[in-house]
Amino acid sequence: MEIFFILGIPVLLAIGAALIRNLKIAGMFNSIGYLLILILSIVLLKKVPLSEGVESHFGFIYLDTLSVFFIFVISVVAFAASLYSISYIKKDLEKGIISQRKAKIYYILFNFFCLSMLFVPSVNNMGILWVAIEMTTLISAFLVGFYNTKESVEAAWKYIIICSVGIILALLGTILFYFAFSFSGGIKSLNWSDMVMSAGKMDKNILKIAFIFIVVGYGTKAGLAPMHTWLPDAHSQAVSPISALLSGVLLKTAIYAILRFGIIIIKAVGFAFFGKIMILFGVVSLVISAGFIIVQKDLKRLLAYSSIEHIGIIAIGFGLGNVLGVIGALLHVFNHAVTKSLMFFGAGNIVSVYKKHNMNSIRGVIKVLPFTGIMLLLGTFALTGFPPFSIFISEIIILIGAFLNGSYLIAGLMLLFLAVIFSAFIYHFGKMLFGNLPKDMVKVQEPLSGKIAFLFLFFQICALGLVIPFIKKDLIWIAQKLFQG
Amino acid sequence: MQLIILFGVLVSTYLMVIAKRIPALIRGFRYQSFCLFLVTFFIALHEHELDLFIVAGLLFILKVSLIPFLLYRIVRRIKVNEDLGLFINAQLSLLFALGFTYLSWVFTMYLIGPGNERFGIILAVAFFIVLAGLFLMIFRMTALAQIVGLLVMENGLFLLASTISGGMPFFVEIAIFFDVFVSILIMGFFVYRINKLFTHIDVNKLSRLRG
Repeated sequence: MEIFFILGIPVLLAIGAALIRNLKIAGMFNSIGYLLILILSIVLLKKVPLSEGVESHFGFIYLDTLSVFFIFVISVVAFAASLYSISYIKKDLEKGIISQRKAKIYYILFNFFCLSMLFVPSVNNMGILWVAIEMTTLISAFLVGFYNTKESVEAAWKYIIICSVGIILALLGTILFYFAFSFSGGIKSLNWSDMVMSAGKMDKNILKIAFIFIVVGYGTKAGLAPMHTWLPDAHSQAVSPISALLSGVLLKTAIYAILRFGIIIIKAVGFAFFGKIMILFGVVSLVISAGFIIVQKDLKRLLAYSSIEHIGIIAIGFGLGNVLGVIGALLHVFNHAVTKSLMFFGAGNIVSVYKKHNMNSIRGVIKVLPFTGIMLLLGTFALTGFPPFSIFISEIIILIGAFLNGSYLIAGLMLLFLAVIFSAFIYHFGKMLFGNLPKDMVKVQEPLSGKIAFLFLFFQICALGLVIPFIKKDLIWIAQKLFQG
Repeated sequence: MQLIILFGVLVSTYLMVIAKRIPALIRGFRYQSFCLFLVTFFIALHEHELDLFIVAGLLFILKVSLIPFLLYRIVRRIKVNEDLGLFINAQLSLLFALGFTYLSWVFTMYLIGPGNERFGIILAVAFFIVLAGLFLMIFRMTALAQIVGLLVMENGLFLLASTISGGMPFFVEIAIFFDVFVSILIMGFFVYRINKLFTHIDVNKLSRLRG
């Protein structure tokens, strides 16, 4: 029942956004809606049993712990982004960058974007899941090209074309899965819950090829290198709250799709095949992103490349496949989502004050925007895996998992590139935050709703260390269950 | 009968690969979609299933009529140079296409093994169309050609899905149709925008974002 409301509220909010004239009220209305969704997703998290999935609404919806977890992550970031949007859109409106009508369109698209993302983990049918992921691309392309500048339209075009090709390959993979399933004497169905039942009977050759298409296809959307080329463009050109959603959760919905097919493939042909592919793509992503992070000049592109890095780490975690690897990867999905959103909000504030993306001309942020500056400083440490924060915890769990697996090479590579990325980040952000203030800059007042969004996310970054001991058993249970069934 | 139609699909794909101007490309796409419509229609006649008739009807309305019409309209409205900007010339492209045909045959044989050649031919044609679509997307430099390339890939997948076990579940098929149509509308919208901002639709020249 909750899922019905979770999927219904964004539709109502979109209608509300179209009707309400006062933008401030529309924004608040939006945030309240997403707060409700967040609460409902927590209720759902408690309610869905650990042991098995629940089918409902004529087998259309399928919820198990994995999908509910992803719904929770999406609703956390969506709530924060809706809070941040209020002040961000108001500022753009006051400066005359966008018109009243465009602000309205923003809120409508925002809601449909969130709806399509929430759809992905809830549906049972793999064909509809494909449609939902394609919908996320189509809707967010407008939000990437929102400012209608040459750069943003170019980014939107690349985004829509590259992701569409990727997703068509994913559809090819899905059809091949369906082919293998119907060949094995199954019923005419694309439901995940049916497919996973007869995983053992499917043709292994076809499944392997199908899974490669799936990983390349959905991996394009997830930003795994070398299919990542659209990502830095789109993430850097989008409206800042949307950048947070793109980096924080959109990439994860594609990872979710890969996992769903991964579970079938593991049951059918064993773990080694899945593990090798995921680790290969993960390591390549880590290496490529590290190189681009070092030489990066654009603030938002820097953060976008960092997303590729973290997606790589998540892929490595799932690819390791032992309990610690999977726990680490799941936690990392959440940690990266909240931390990266915080960083993008900070970057959004900086860009709107300095009016530049180029890091060489951004100096002395901490004096101009004291609150954002401090949050960004803490966020930088959190993002690069500094001890008290949550990303440190998930990264160290994945590393321990790698060592326990005997994958010393992978652990070594991961440590090396994490260190490189850490130093590059400290270098870039150190100069931006503490450098000498440009002459004509004065201290800027920061709006309350933006501050609440920051504090909400920062609380999530810190709280994980405290929560883990209480949910340790559940986590281990899920991790054991996920790939072994 | 089916083989003749499949031959038609193959020929129309070759026509698209060697097309030098945008209207010729769209015409090729139209022929291809029409052949696919015939394939689906005959399967539907053979199996007497209402679902398949509806799918065939939708195929005719969307891909044979509406989408080519929209594409022609865009070409007319933006008044852009109609050359496709071939990255690889027509003769070489044809060679590539022949190579792809062979490649997809080998791949199909690997997939299903020898013994059921009749089924294999359809599968091979489907894979070939997907490859040809990808080729068009990569080596034709205008935004419109990329849209057509995407549609061609989707056509290949449609053929694949309809030949193996009589198509996807009905509502999935409908959802995919809807999705393709919406994506074409949105891409068309972006083509207008690109043309307005850059005064051309040469994707190769979109290079402001680097690094």
